[in-house]
Amino acid sequence: MGYEWDFLVVLRDFDLLLLGLVNTLKVTVLALVLGVPIGLALALLRLYGNLVVRAPVGLLIEFLRTTPPIAQLFWFFFALPILTGIEIDPFRASILTFALQSSAFFAEVFRGGIVSIDTGQWEASKALGMSRNESLRRIILPQAVKRMIPAFLERAIELMKTTTLVSTISYADLLYQANSIAQSTYRSLEVFSIAAAMYFLVIFACSMIVRYIEARLAIASEAAH
Amino acid sequence: MGYQFDFSAVIGNWKLLLIGLQNSIILGATCLVLGLSLGLIVGGMRYMRAPIVNWPATAFVEVFRNTPVLVQIMWFFFAFPIISPVEINAFTAASLGLTLNTAAFSAEIFRAGIRSVEKGQWEAGKAIGMTYIQQLRRIVLPQAIRRMLPAFMNRAVELMKMTSLASVIAYGELMHKAKQISTLEFNPIEMYTVVALIFFALIFPLALFVQRFELKLKDSG
Repeated sequence: MGYEWDFLVVLRDFDLLLLGLVNTLKVTVLALVLGVPIGLALALLRLYGNLVVRAPVGLLIEFLRTTPPIAQLFWFFFALPILTGIEIDPFRASILTFALQSSAFFAEVFRGGIVSIDTGQWEASKALGMSRNESLRRIILPQAVKRMIPAFLERAIELMKTTTLVSTISYADLLYQANSIAQSTYRSLEVFSIAAAMYFLVIFACSMIVRYIEARLAIASEAAH
Repeated sequence: MGYQFDFSAVIGNWKLLLIGLQNSIILGATCLVLGLSLGLIVGGMRYMRAPIVNWPATAFVEVFRNTPVLVQIMWFFFAFPIISPVEINAFTAASLGLTLNTAAFSAEIFRAGIRSVEKGQWEAGKAIGMTYIQQLRRIVLPQAIRRMLPAFMNRAVELMKMTSLASVIAYGELMHKAKQISTLEFNPIEMYTVVALIFFALIFPLALFVQRFELKLKDSG
């Protein structure tokens, strides 16, 4: 096992890896910003839409949740442009895919949160003369959102991990940069190890924040009862 | 939008797709069995207090839960062979990544499941003279496993989806076959639509079953 490690080669290209990390975060944040509102819309349609809407929305959510994200990404990148005649670059295809893919998961988080609110809350707001929209906006959602926060943040972390797929359609995220540095320096062991460590640092830090928030919320809800 | 769909090339290659599907299932099943077994061991280690057992298990779980699974697979395929004494092919690399990832997640399920069993159950087992292992095997695990089942089945669903990542390192599973066919036949629309549908048909029944099972479990308390 006389392998001689050489991290210097990698450190010389460290700025490329950092650029990749920035791109990873960019895709994650944009997909989140688009995915959450779409998720809320899908959840409301699945819960309160009429029958004609409910069934296809439910099917769409299940489809996005149970097919591999790489299949979705390839479909949006390779198939959609032919179908619509509109050119789509790797960045747009990635945002589109991950916004939709995560919106399906967010929709289920929203739905679970809304359903978990006691029916008494609905009745109370109805008794005050609120319409369904008002009850939802003023009474139900504020309570539901608080319960959803942990599930929400966990999904966001999952999303960041899933964005590594964009490297397969040549968008220059962290994994893609690592791969190209590995090919030019022949130091794949060092490069991939460092890239993995970078992912770990960022994602682990996010996980710790999530755990902290979860613990705080648990204390808050215990104090409220 | 006047695109003419033509599925003949997809149908003409059904044998290739079938082989791909087989390989997907083989990879998924292998990693599920190995991952759950390893997860039980690691989960047990995390449940113990001795730092020499607990710390490595904790480090293992955190590393594999907090890095993307594609990075794990790529690492085992491109980086690991350099220091590995044995040769690593695409199947081995994908299995290593997916198994260890599944083990890390299921270790946490085991730990949470065991923890959810009331302390009185342990004490009752102890009171009638059982050893620690006996308490675990005869009293705690049978109760905990029922509660853990939905989470494990969800892991299986996730794992089946993750097998598609093996296509990135050219393991001949379904997604990889689809990529090959679409390059040869210039039919990405038909091919990727069909492959998404195949995955849906494969995984959705499993996901549906998990949902039903969870409801049943909730009803029975």
